[in-house]
Amino acid sequence: MQITAEKKESTTSVATESSKREIFLPPDRERVREGGTPHVSAKNFSIFYGNFEAVKKVNADILSKYVTAIIGPSGCGKSTFLRGINRMNDLIPSCYTTGTLMCDGEDIYGRYTDEVQLRKKIGMVFQKPNPFPKSIFDNIAYGPRLHGVKDKKTLEELVEKSLRKAALWDEVKDRLERNALGLSGGQQQRLCVARTLAVDPDILLLDEPTSALDPKATAKIEDLIEELRGSYTILIVTHNMQQASRVSDYTMFYYEGDLIEYAPTKQLFTNPKDQVTEDYITGRFS
Amino acid sequence: MAERPVHEHIKDLSNSMVILSDKVLKNFSLAMDALHDCDNLSCAQIKLADGEIDASEVRLEEQCLIFLALQQPVAKDLRVIITILKINNDLERIGDLAVHVVERIPEVNSDFVAQFDFQKMGAIAKEMVQKSIQAFVNRDRELAEEVVEMDEELDAMHRGVFKKVSTGIRSADVNETTQFIVSLSISRYIERIGDHATRIAREVLYMITGAIVRHSEGSFEKLIESLKD
Repeated sequence: MQITAEKKESTTSVATESSKREIFLPPDRERVREGGTPHVSAKNFSIFYGNFEAVKKVNADILSKYVTAIIGPSGCGKSTFLRGINRMNDLIPSCYTTGTLMCDGEDIYGRYTDEVQLRKKIGMVFQKPNPFPKSIFDNIAYGPRLHGVKDKKTLEELVEKSLRKAALWDEVKDRLERNALGLSGGQQQRLCVARTLAVDPDILLLDEPTSALDPKATAKIEDLIEELRGSYTILIVTHNMQQASRVSDYTMFYYEGDLIEYAPTKQLFTNPKDQVTEDYITGRFS
Repeated sequence: MAERPVHEHIKDLSNSMVILSDKVLKNFSLAMDALHDCDNLSCAQIKLADGEIDASEVRLEEQCLIFLALQQPVAKDLRVIITILKINNDLERIGDLAVHVVERIPEVNSDFVAQFDFQKMGAIAKEMVQKSIQAFVNRDRELAEEVVEMDEELDAMHRGVFKKVSTGIRSADVNETTQFIVSLSISRYIERIGDHATRIAREVLYMITGAIVRHSEGSFEKLIESLKD
């Protein structure tokens, strides 16, 4: 499908435009007041796997402290874009980028960017819960220890704080020394969120975090996103459109590597501007 | 592109609404004929038909709610279902207003009613409802806007009735006073039908554009201005 440069300009300007206007949010989202400041900015940002351009010249600002959902059919580049934000794609030998991707004014792909520090600032949770085969305590303490925290009391405080933030504390406080692999799938995923929060990131990248979970565990993760809204910049890739509309403030729609539409979620799901978006979200794709 | 079952379902709901609008318009036409002839006997038949309209309205609402709960539509699909729900409600109210018209027939005589142009008012109201539904079916923005503009003509005729009543009532005897008041009510019922048609047209505009056009800029000023006449 051909997407003109003009269309890209108009769609990516949506976030910038809307950030200037007063944003009316439903009561449960009124805590988000800080929005409007770009946290991650993509300028003509492309990601290639060899000759294949998986993400094509994206221009967009991810707004600080908002939840942004990324939707699109399989293979559209949404996960690639997400993984590009904390350079997870660096592990793929044929992968390279063009254009710029800035975070807090610093080039994510800059020559002197420290990837370890970058990933401390930009945490990630994956599709399948992946706790380390260690105790619950050690899972959470792993990151802070790596970054030099040695004091036992400080670590204990960090573990409790992170587990509380991830709404898991009450369920595991009496068995912190038990192996994390003994937790249920939903608990394991919240543990992974807690592990990410333990190193005090600014940005959370969630790559289909509930696709392997049952509805009850999914609801807990969605509630957790609601709790974290306004404290972190959150990007969530999801195939579940209802989930995107429930949890996010803004939605990006990718199709064949192009960012087709980027708009406030309530607008995109009630009155999308682009016919391709309309066809996708209403299930009219052939 | 082949339609999916979910979109066929939306078409079915749209068709049910159009069928309901036919029933409502038919009943309204019967009510206007009864008013013309001051025919008390038609009242029971019109009330019976209104009972069927009410039942159809409830059924359609239930179907729409089930569709919303099970299919969770978004974008255009969501707007279509919301519009059907709202139009459904307006049609039911139009049905009630037609019944109100015939309920007042025993209180007036045909010679008295003849001094007011209720048949023309009724014809305009009916045309507005027909056109608003047609605009829904054809997704016709211009036709919907035309309906919104037609409302002014009906409002002006209602204001004309009001003036006539307010003048006539001053020199009227007891019997005539009642007939003047009843005539004003009938005029009001027909004018309200026009308002519902206008609402339907605006709901269609929302369905097409995604923008809510009710209470647009200047509508309050227009209302105040019309009251000065």
